[in-house]
Amino acid sequence: MQKYDIIIIGGGITGCAIARELSKYRLKIAVCEAAADVAAGTTKANGGIIHAGDDPVPGTLKAFLNSKGCLMYPILSEKLGFRFRKKGSMVVGFDEHDHAVLKKLLERGRLNGAPNLELIQGERIFDLEPETNRKAKYALYTPHTGMVDPFEVAIAFCENAVDNGAQFYLSSPVTAIRRAEDGTFTVTTPKGELTGNYLVNCAGVHADDVARLAGADEFTIRARHGDLLVMDKNCGIQDVMTLYPVPKPETKGVVLMNTVSGNILVGSTAVMMDKDDVASYREGIDELLSGANRLIEKLNTRKVIRTFAGNRAVVVDNNNDFYIRPSKKVEGLFHVAGIQSPGIASSPAIAAYVAQMLKAYGVPMTEKEHFIDERRPPVDFSELSMEERDRLIRENPAYGRIVCRCECVTEGEIIDALHRNPQPTTVDAVKRRTRAGMGRCQGGFCQQKVLGIMAKELGRSPTQINLGRADSQIVYSKLKEGC
Amino acid sequence: MNEFHFDVAVIGGGPAGMGAALKAQQNGASVALIERNPRLGGILLQCIHSGFGLKFFKEELTGPEYAQRFANRMEKTDVKVFLSTMVLQITPDKKVICMNENGITVIHAKAVVLAMGCRERTRGEIKIPGDRCAGVLTAGQAQHYINIDNFCPGHRFVILGSGDIGLIMARRLSLEGMKVQGVYELMPYPNGLVRNLKNCLDDFKIPLHLSTTVTRVIGKNGRVCAVEVTKVDDHLQPVKGTSEIVPCDTLLLSVGLVPENELSLGAGVQLNPKTNGAVVDDRLQTNVPGIFSCGNVLHVHDLADNVTMEAEHAGESAAAYAKGIQSEKAAAVSVRSEEPIGYTVPSQIHSLQNTAVKFRVRRPCEHASLTVVSEGKVLMRGKPRKYIPSVMEQMILPSAVLQKAEGEIVLKIESE
Repeated sequence: MQKYDIIIIGGGITGCAIARELSKYRLKIAVCEAAADVAAGTTKANGGIIHAGDDPVPGTLKAFLNSKGCLMYPILSEKLGFRFRKKGSMVVGFDEHDHAVLKKLLERGRLNGAPNLELIQGERIFDLEPETNRKAKYALYTPHTGMVDPFEVAIAFCENAVDNGAQFYLSSPVTAIRRAEDGTFTVTTPKGELTGNYLVNCAGVHADDVARLAGADEFTIRARHGDLLVMDKNCGIQDVMTLYPVPKPETKGVVLMNTVSGNILVGSTAVMMDKDDVASYREGIDELLSGANRLIEKLNTRKVIRTFAGNRAVVVDNNNDFYIRPSKKVEGLFHVAGIQSPGIASSPAIAAYVAQMLKAYGVPMTEKEHFIDERRPPVDFSELSMEERDRLIRENPAYGRIVCRCECVTEGEIIDALHRNPQPTTVDAVKRRTRAGMGRCQGGFCQQKVLGIMAKELGRSPTQINLGRADSQIVYSKLKEGC
Repeated sequence: MNEFHFDVAVIGGGPAGMGAALKAQQNGASVALIERNPRLGGILLQCIHSGFGLKFFKEELTGPEYAQRFANRMEKTDVKVFLSTMVLQITPDKKVICMNENGITVIHAKAVVLAMGCRERTRGEIKIPGDRCAGVLTAGQAQHYINIDNFCPGHRFVILGSGDIGLIMARRLSLEGMKVQGVYELMPYPNGLVRNLKNCLDDFKIPLHLSTTVTRVIGKNGRVCAVEVTKVDDHLQPVKGTSEIVPCDTLLLSVGLVPENELSLGAGVQLNPKTNGAVVDDRLQTNVPGIFSCGNVLHVHDLADNVTMEAEHAGESAAAYAKGIQSEKAAAVSVRSEEPIGYTVPSQIHSLQNTAVKFRVRRPCEHASLTVVSEGKVLMRGKPRKYIPSVMEQMILPSAVLQKAEGEIVLKIESE
């Protein structure tokens, strides 16, 4: 049986960030993730905004961690080689009622200590973002709002944690947790058992279920479902600032974002739903399209290339705040739960906060002498100049073979992704690392090529390769044997 | 970086690209053809059914056979073919920047023929809600898995869309022993050719459900286990209470084709929002002088034979341009259409000779006459007949009519 100091349950951005943070210390760390890849739950299904810390209710843990976390992004982006882009955001108001709300938001933002907030009106709105609906009258401008691809960040945290000795167990849902007399935990997964001295519960919408497995029935999570949609890069607008409508009590409303990869993203709706329901809904999609057009009329809403949905974890009776604390009932168990928006922005601060919490709890934590703080970034062929591309292809001809024509992804990038640790084993995992299949044809042309490269590099038959979840085979069998 | 100079660069090695390259070469131009796949033929290589060549060769061929006829002709010429080569960019001054295993190559051309073909519309584009599980694929993707890769992508299929690829796949799946539960079509009429409806559905007793669409994908353990289908009203909106759950493990989409004009846009080519293809004149020249367009990247064709014939015209025009023997006069007549005609190709006419004009109707029209009108005067009226959206119509505008046209002519279809 494998023995660890710390077992983290859940490989979303929170679990990955914590694994990386704790890998700075002389600790043996394991991460158990139910899905076949990290970042496969809430992390992959949200907008990827790095909020500047202006919005949470002042005085909450969320407000504290958001303002701290967003400041960590520029350096992390450089060290870990993920894309981070700061273009600012505006909450756009159309009338006097909106103006009154914006004034309150400004006040709240200032209380939170968010820098350089401005309540603006008239032409200044269009100077900052010319594509804004001309009917806009007022706006709260937040210059420090940024964007990331959230799964890219989580994968970077994860790979860096692995470089520093953390071990990731994928396709390993935790089915039972035992705590022995001496306080060590035994965690059961279909792949075997692990023991650890401490457990960190980062299981997203299922954190309450994991807590119960450990005998800590102390909170309940509900899921707030959100539909999102991705627009074609060619949808009438590009390179825009993140735009919000004036929020309603329950939701921030339909937000229009520009991903670091250049797509317009529209999200999210907010409806309480079953935890495992991540289907997309027609009503949600319609709400997003009309909401997006309200912010930018010029957006061609026919140019949708993908709809998706995700669930945000809401801890019941917790004022929508994060729930990060040692268990009230089980010693050595820590909960990192209720990580809803702005969870992505907060994640590096959450990780630092958890490290402090463990230290305060008495977990023996000695810093390593040789923590590797950089990750070898993947090549993004689409971003290279023609000269750089030419040089790269001459070094390695696999970069001369385009696999995904929509996003200009080469075989070289896919092979590199397949030989990283942890190794992606599903078509979706390759997509999240390389963007192959994320373009307008949605894998129509490249999926079979990706499948072929994966089969070769992983030494498996294409019939053994899943799209994402377990049992999500893409092809069942050979049609005719002997061919 | 490698550099080359040619009179004409043809982008794409499907039926359009080969047709254009061969004709340009015959007309004395030095020609380069760039194809991203390791073989010439384009999508025809996976179309192993017959029905190709009836018009052009007067015999019935399969897709690969039809493509091979042109590939053989190409071999006998000095057209420089770049295989496994991807075009990254076309500049307005006709530099074609491409890449392959040898690095980046720049082809300087005097004229460019766009022949990149089209792609299929996806689930995302038509926004089918539900689970995002494995087992939802386009008809062409399934065709590739089955005909090229020898893989079984599913056992029980529902097909959405009665376009020709969907119909052909319904037959193909049946022949491979897979079950096709039914074909569902949003519109109140089928979108495929009549011959395909008969040969692919009727002969295999596969039901076609008109005015019905897939409103939800239902997954289990990461794979499709059923779809919800719902009847739609006259405004194509789902009608409450008419939904039905159809068990299946795969949903095939045959919901339309879109010309792939991303490279064209980069070159400054103006597109027609109705076709998603370039706006062209009677020489198939786009708004960028020396850049021509043909085949499915210009407008989606019904038959490969028609693609070939259009491409030959583009190849001829490109060669003439490269050799400087094209007149630079402004167009004499512009062509416009009115509903139910969806579009015309070309939309500008220079020559007052007999000129072919292609168009499609957007809905079936029984017993209808095609009329050509200019300045309120009817210049020409066709005999009443049936027009259907699945057929790309071609008519010849006679020189005499063009001579009489006052700047603009309008194509109309009038039902009796």
